[in-house]
Amino acid sequence: MAAATVWANVQPPIVGAGDASVAATEPYDVIVVGSGAGGGMSAYHLTKSGLKVLMLEAGRDYDPVAETPMYNINAEAPLRGASTPDKPFGFYDATVDGGWEVPNEPYTVAEGSEPFIWWRPRMLGGRTNHWGRISLRFGPLDFKPRSRDGLGYDWPITYDDLAPWYDRTEKLIGVTGAAPPRGLTNTPDSPPGCLMESPPPRAFELFYARAFEAMGIPVVPMHGAVVTEAMEGRNTCVFATPCGRGCAIGANFQSTTVLLPPAMATGNLTIRTNALVYQVDLDAAGKAKGVTFVDRRTGEHHSATARAVVLAAGSGETARILLNSKSAKFPDGLCNTHGMVGRYLMDSVGLNVTGQFPALEGLPPTNDDGMSVEHTYVPWWGYDRHKELGFPRGYHVEIGGGRQMPSMSIARLMGDDASVGDDLRAGLRQRYGSVISFNGRGEMIPNDDCYCELDPKVKDKWGVPVLRFHWKWGEAETRQAAHMTTTFLEVIDRLGGKPVGEVERDGRKAISKGGEMIHEVGTARMGASDADSVVNQYGQAWAVPNLFVTDGAVLVSSPDKNPTLSILALAWRSSDHLAQSAKRGEL
Amino acid sequence: MSDEAPKPYQRKIDRRTALIWVGAAGAAIAGGAGVVVYREAIGKKEPSTASGYGTDPKLNPPIKAPWPRLLSDDELQAAAVLADFILPATATAPAASALGVPDFIDEWVSAPYPDQLEDRPVIRDGLKALIPDLVRGDAARRTAALAALPKSTDEKIRAFFTRFRALTVGAYYTTEAGFKDIGYIGNEARASDPGPSAEVKAVLEERLKALGL
Repeated sequence: MAAATVWANVQPPIVGAGDASVAATEPYDVIVVGSGAGGGMSAYHLTKSGLKVLMLEAGRDYDPVAETPMYNINAEAPLRGASTPDKPFGFYDATVDGGWEVPNEPYTVAEGSEPFIWWRPRMLGGRTNHWGRISLRFGPLDFKPRSRDGLGYDWPITYDDLAPWYDRTEKLIGVTGAAPPRGLTNTPDSPPGCLMESPPPRAFELFYARAFEAMGIPVVPMHGAVVTEAMEGRNTCVFATPCGRGCAIGANFQSTTVLLPPAMATGNLTIRTNALVYQVDLDAAGKAKGVTFVDRRTGEHHSATARAVVLAAGSGETARILLNSKSAKFPDGLCNTHGMVGRYLMDSVGLNVTGQFPALEGLPPTNDDGMSVEHTYVPWWGYDRHKELGFPRGYHVEIGGGRQMPSMSIARLMGDDASVGDDLRAGLRQRYGSVISFNGRGEMIPNDDCYCELDPKVKDKWGVPVLRFHWKWGEAETRQAAHMTTTFLEVIDRLGGKPVGEVERDGRKAISKGGEMIHEVGTARMGASDADSVVNQYGQAWAVPNLFVTDGAVLVSSPDKNPTLSILALAWRSSDHLAQSAKRGEL
Repeated sequence: MSDEAPKPYQRKIDRRTALIWVGAAGAAIAGGAGVVVYREAIGKKEPSTASGYGTDPKLNPPIKAPWPRLLSDDELQAAAVLADFILPATATAPAASALGVPDFIDEWVSAPYPDQLEDRPVIRDGLKALIPDLVRGDAARRTAALAALPKSTDEKIRAFFTRFRALTVGAYYTTEAGFKDIGYIGNEARASDPGPSAEVKAVLEERLKALGL
C-alpha cells in the first residue's frame, strides 16, 4: 500500500486546543518545531526511536492525497493558472498562504540593503510539498572551504562524517541518478544501491548535452527525489504531472507523504497545526523546558513542555524564535551571547538565460513530461580553474525545456510577430518545444553584510517582533553570475540558437535577489566552539544542551548543491545523537 | 471571413457561476439551459475592491475565479470577433470563441491582481474603440478593421493587439483542443518513460550534425 494511502486515514490529532498548557495532559520527550525537511526527519527518527514527540507546525493541516491537483489542466484554473501575488508560482503550486508574503506575518528589509525576499508556506510539511526535488550531495570540498582557499568557514564535520547519512537518506526518500561512478571533482557518486535509475534524457536534453560536451563539460543524470523503481510502501512516478503541485500518490519526496505517515504509525507522534512557536522556555537551571506558541486561528497563547526541544522552523523562523527568547541570562536572545544568531545568512546565486533553437523546431510530437525534475544536469566543472576564472566558487546548471504542457506564456514563442490565423497556428506548432532555459545555481560565500535580526518596531498580528533582513551580494557571487551568462550564451550559440529577450551581462544586475532561490540557510550555524557558532556538529546548542536545531540554519556554507538533501541527512544524524543521549538518560 | 454578421457570442459559463457574479438582484436575467446571455447592466457596477482568490484557494478541484466580470456585452462581442480573427476555426481545430476565449478575456481583465489591472485599460480601451467596426459595422467594415489591426503603427493599437493576441493564444492553447492543435502529448499516467522515439532521435542527430555537434 502506498504511504500516501496510509496518511489519508490518519488525522493528526489536535491536542488540547484552548488549553493553557498542552503538556498538562501529555508528557512529551521532545517538541519538534516545524514539519518540513528538518522537522519531518527529526520526528521520523525520534518517534521510531521510541520517543514521544509533539510536533508544532505554524501552518494548517494539509492532505496531499485529497488536495493535490494532479491532472488538472490550466484551463480549469483561475487565470489559466497564471502567477498572482496570492499564488506566486502559479495557481496549482502546492504552497499554502502566499509564499513571498504570508498574511499577518510581515518581515522587513533594512534601509540601504539589497533586496531580500523570504518564501514561507503555512502548511504541514512546509516547503517539502512544493520544492524542486533536486537532491545533490555536498562534496568533500564543500565542508572545508576555508582550508581550500581561505574564504568562508570550515564545517566541524567532513564529507565522510555525513556520507553514511546521505546513503540512508537517499534510500529512505527515493532519489534518481544511478549511473556508473564518474569520479567528478567534489560531485560525489553515491554507493551502489542508494540511487534509482533516472528516466532517459529527453530530446532537448540530448540536444544541449552535445554543446556542453563540445566545451569539455560533462552532463550527468539528475539526482531527483522521485521514485522510479519499485520501493516498499511507495508508488512509482507516473511521468505526467508537475512535482511542484505536490504528489497525491507519494511518488516524490514530501515530508507529508514519506516522513510523517510512518512517524504517526509508531503511535509516538502528536501533531498540532496552526501553532506558531515564538519562544523557547527555560527552566531555573537554564535548560529548555518547552516552547510558547500562538494559535493562529484563535490568537490564544499556549505553552508546551518536554525534555528536549528541536527547532526546525526554517532558517529564518528558527533564528527569529531564538532572538525572541530573551531572558536574564540571554538578554539578546537565546544562544546569542556571541551575537552569532541570524549571522552568516546565505542563499544560492541564481541566474537564467533562455534560448530559442531552430534545430529543435518541428520535431515529431513526443511526450516530454518526464519525471518533472530535470533528467540530466551539469555539475560545476571548473574546480581547478578558479584563479583564471576570477571568481572562487562554482555553480551547477539546471536546464528546462521540451514540449511542456502549454501555459499562458505560450504566446512568447511568437516574439514580436503579428501573425494571425493559419500562420499563427503554424508558427506556434513549429516553435513549440524549441525553447530551453538555462539556470545557474551557485555557491555563495557568507559575508558580514548578510544577516537577519529582530525589527525594533514591526510586530506580527500577535505582537511578536518580526525579522529584519540585511543583504549584499559579494563580488565572488556577482562575478560568478556574469560567468553564468557568458557560458549560457556560448552554449546557445553553439546550438545555433538565439537568446530570448534582453540579456543582462552585468552580474551585479543579473543576479537573483537575496532569498529568491529559497535556499536561505546559515543563521544558527554549527561549529567547533561556542565562540564562532550556535550549535555543535549535532545541531546541539552550545548554550542549552537539550536544545537542537535541525534545519538549514545549521549550515556553515551554501554550496551550489541545493540544500534539502543535506538538511535531511544532517537532521537524521542530529536526531540520532539526540535519541542516543535520551537512551543514556542524558536529556 | 464570412460576409454574414457573426452570431452573437454567448457565455460558456454555467448558470450557478453567473448567479454568483450578478448577485441576487441580477438573477432574473440569467437564462436557462446553462447558458447566460450577458447584459450590459451587469457590468456597470465596477467594484473597486474586488477580492482575489486568496492565499489558500481550493486546488482540487480548482475553484472558479470568484471576482465579478466587467466587460460590457459590446466589449465581449468585440472580443469574440477579434479572438476568432486571431484563431478562427479550421478543419481540425475549433475557433477561439468556441473554447470560451472571450469569457477568459473578461475573467482576466476583471481580476484584481497587478498584471491584470495593468492589462485592463489596455484591453478595454482597445475593445471599446473597436465596437463601431466589429460589433456595429457591416461585414466590409469589420473585415477592413480586422485586417488593419496587425499592421497598425499606432503605438496604443499595437500594444492592445499584442496583449490581446497573447491572451487569446494563452487561453486557447491551455485547453485540451489547444493541446491537440499545438501537439502537446502528455498529462497521462505511464508505467515508465521510454524517452524520445527512434524517429525523434534520428531527426535530432541529423540536425546536430548540421551544427557540427
